[in-house]
Amino acid sequence: MARAWIEALLAAGVTPATFVPDASQGRFDQEPVERAAADVLEDAELATHAVSGAAGPPPAAFLDGIQQWRVVGYDGVVPIVRAYVAAAVRRRGVDKRLRTALEAAREFAVAPLAALGGEQRAALEAHIDVVDLPDLAPSQPGPVLEAARRAVDGARQTLERALAERALRLLGEREWLIVDGLLSVSGKLAAHPRALGVIKSFGTQFFEGEALRRALTLAMGQRTSVFRARGGHARNDVYSWYLRLWPWEGNDLLYGLLRIEARAAEETIAAAGGVSSWLLGERAPVSTPDARWDRLLYPIHDVETYLRSRAPRDFLPASGSRLPRTGT
Amino acid sequence: MIDKSRPAPIGRVVATELKPATPHQFHFWTAVETSIGIGAIVKVEEGVGRVVYGVVTDGFAYSDLQTPLHDVVGAEGDPVRAAESPTVRQEIRLWTAAVLRQVPEEPLQPVPLARVFVATDADVAQALRMDTYLTGAQPTGIPVGLYTSGGLEAPVYLDADFLLGPEAAHLNLSGVSGLATKTSAVEFLLASIFEHFPKHKGRVAAVCFNVKGPDLCFLDQPGALTDEDLRRYERLGVAPRPFERVRYFAPYKGDGVNLNTLRTHPDLVGDVEPLVWGLAEVLDFAEVLLNRDDIDAKADAFIDFLADRVLNREFDDPLAGRHRVETFADLDRLFRSIFDALELSGRGDMWRTHHVATIRKVRNRLSNVSTRCKGLVTDDGPASDLPWGRFEDRAVYVVDIANVDPLGQDLVFARVVSRLREGLERRELGVDAVVVFVDELNKYAPADGPDTYVKKMLLDISERGRYLGLVLFGAEQFRSQVHRRVVGNAGSQIYGRMDMDELATPAYQVLSPATKIKLATLPVGELMVRHPHFTQPIFVRFPRPPVLRGRDGVERFAPAADLPFAEAVARQLWRLDRAVRPNTVRDLVDGRDEQDVRRALAETRRRRPDDVLAYFRKVLGSRVAPDAARERAAVPPLGAITDEPY
Repeated sequence: MARAWIEALLAAGVTPATFVPDASQGRFDQEPVERAAADVLEDAELATHAVSGAAGPPPAAFLDGIQQWRVVGYDGVVPIVRAYVAAAVRRRGVDKRLRTALEAAREFAVAPLAALGGEQRAALEAHIDVVDLPDLAPSQPGPVLEAARRAVDGARQTLERALAERALRLLGEREWLIVDGLLSVSGKLAAHPRALGVIKSFGTQFFEGEALRRALTLAMGQRTSVFRARGGHARNDVYSWYLRLWPWEGNDLLYGLLRIEARAAEETIAAAGGVSSWLLGERAPVSTPDARWDRLLYPIHDVETYLRSRAPRDFLPASGSRLPRTGT
Repeated sequence: MIDKSRPAPIGRVVATELKPATPHQFHFWTAVETSIGIGAIVKVEEGVGRVVYGVVTDGFAYSDLQTPLHDVVGAEGDPVRAAESPTVRQEIRLWTAAVLRQVPEEPLQPVPLARVFVATDADVAQALRMDTYLTGAQPTGIPVGLYTSGGLEAPVYLDADFLLGPEAAHLNLSGVSGLATKTSAVEFLLASIFEHFPKHKGRVAAVCFNVKGPDLCFLDQPGALTDEDLRRYERLGVAPRPFERVRYFAPYKGDGVNLNTLRTHPDLVGDVEPLVWGLAEVLDFAEVLLNRDDIDAKADAFIDFLADRVLNREFDDPLAGRHRVETFADLDRLFRSIFDALELSGRGDMWRTHHVATIRKVRNRLSNVSTRCKGLVTDDGPASDLPWGRFEDRAVYVVDIANVDPLGQDLVFARVVSRLREGLERRELGVDAVVVFVDELNKYAPADGPDTYVKKMLLDISERGRYLGLVLFGAEQFRSQVHRRVVGNAGSQIYGRMDMDELATPAYQVLSPATKIKLATLPVGELMVRHPHFTQPIFVRFPRPPVLRGRDGVERFAPAADLPFAEAVARQLWRLDRAVRPNTVRDLVDGRDEQDVRRALAETRRRRPDDVLAYFRKVLGSRVAPDAARERAAVPPLGAITDEPY
């Protein structure tokens, strides 16, 4: 399909390009930097709790998504982006192997339609689903590409959310759904008693002072008190806590640190210790060679690997040379 | 017979720059739980019309683990915890397959990156090019075993034209001893040949040399078969029954009356015929009896002279006198005459251009034969031999030389094979093709060592036998220790379980490491087969042979103890005529010279008269008086030695 609409664009006078922007090969993993409020629920103030030894996990399914995009042409100086987002839920069987339960993918174009020439726009809209970038002032490609990135990110989140809500309906009685990222983006997810969000980026600051120090200097195998995350990017009420998977000393403050989101309910406070215990057990196997292996749970890594293996191959960065590779 | 059920795909061809698919090799992955393994035949199918068949030669398994250290880190150094990981890593079963056949064969292209299926019966036939000889008006397939993999099972056939000639011929079997694989495989294959050898190719027989223990002594007795064996026989279209026509030949022991074989149980020994040769049979193969140092032109010339001018004819020599040489005893008398005459006449050291030293050497060697091969070679009396010219179709002739002196084994082998070749050349053997089975081939045709007569003969069979219908089925423990031209000329090869040291030799370089490992651990009843139609080795399973195994045979039919001389003679005469009474025979031979009795017995066996006892009595009576002791003509004594020179 990609070839057809790109060829149509080229026929309409678009200049071909093969530009793969940095960080276009995965999801945007950084939370927006912002401040948010938190109400500590489990203790009088944010405290640390030792998590008992890693427990055997309950039945679980894991959800993750990927996004890939690249510039395929320029109409003048206006970039036209080809994007691909996909998400999958992989369920862990009694044999400890992960198998795909649900998956979805979408390929689309991103461009400021108003800035395109008439013929080019017509060619684009006639052949592929297009995400418009409205209200962009004419500029160099940089701002357009940033807007395109956000659009792709949003499309991926939408796909993930839809898939997650479908997955909730398929969950077994004791089965959990572990989502890579925020649980609070979906009301259904945020309300489900066996859904967890695993956040490995820390753009949102919930605490300050001594509480912040306690949260970010957890020792390995410790968690914080459960707190209510309020405001910030959270659109739905969730309870949350920090959990340290690996010792950070000698590495980095955020090394091995996760923030967990779960349903805003009393049961969550009671279950935080047990959930943390089996999440601690998810450290093995380690998800190397991913650089984020200290925080990336292996099943989430597996979903990502699965999705990448099924993604169109032509989103990969071109080799340094335009000449074909030879030999080994 | 053809399994029409179509299996689901079990894998997919993958190719990378480092591991590309080529016209001769490809790689594919399967689910972790898969039924295929090394030796499995698979089919790659791309759309309509293009099919590639391959055989799995290697397998790999690996996970997404980048380094073992990461596994240690994840388990915090505790192997128990490693097993408790809630998720198992993604892992792969990656297989390497060698291409067996591409359809269409032209243009020859790399294997497509397509779906992989387990081969069905029909696929196996296609993959191994068996369709070319299993179909048509005159099929020539000989079942050799069942290819089994992934719950599928398909018969594998060898092409008779390439197993028994004339296109190619000969079979070589290798494998460690003690697993009964080699012998069992030959026994099954002979049964299969006898049942499936195409009628249009004529009559076939087998001559098997039993060179150790009781291996081939019970081919006419049914062996124990399991239900699985019977099912395999049915699948292969071979009747599970022992050979119907088997004839056993064994020389006598040193006493000249008890047979030198383990098939001496009273119920079976009656089928064993003595193998006894006289001077005429031996002299043609005198070269076998001479060691390497003896082989010179002078000895050869004298032996030729004896064969051409003396043997079986009236020989009149001015010096040695008149002789008729038919036996070793006659020959010895001639030699004595020559030596005596030379000494008495003082005519020097030459007799008819032959130096006396050469004559003495030849006499020494030939006379020695009756000592070293006592029981096989008679120094006086008629011979008893294989039924030359009267070989029967689908019959096995077992020549038991397990307990014969190595020199005698060489002699038997050389003579039997030479006679077979002569008979086939002249088309007067009675059959059109003969399979000669020889075990311990590394002993008879070693890769190094002297060029013996037997080795030269084996080379000759290997290189020219297929034109005659003389087919060598050779077996050995170490293929690398057999002359390369002997094994190299074997069109078909069978490998049982192999020794790892042997597999490390250059002869096995073409096999993948995984195939070698499989060969080193092959269970009893499984073989690897190479055949001109198969571009890659194929593993097959075959049922236990339908005959009694040697070791079981000696338990069920325990060999009888040697009989006293008179009893043994009586037993042999009784076999010729059930009316013969042992007591009568005992009375007849009592007090007689044993040599006379042996001669009489041999003559009676040879003639097979209507009245056995009467004929035996007659022959024995005519020779009852021993030959008068021959006066040794001594050299006249010299006169007394004195100091007086004149």
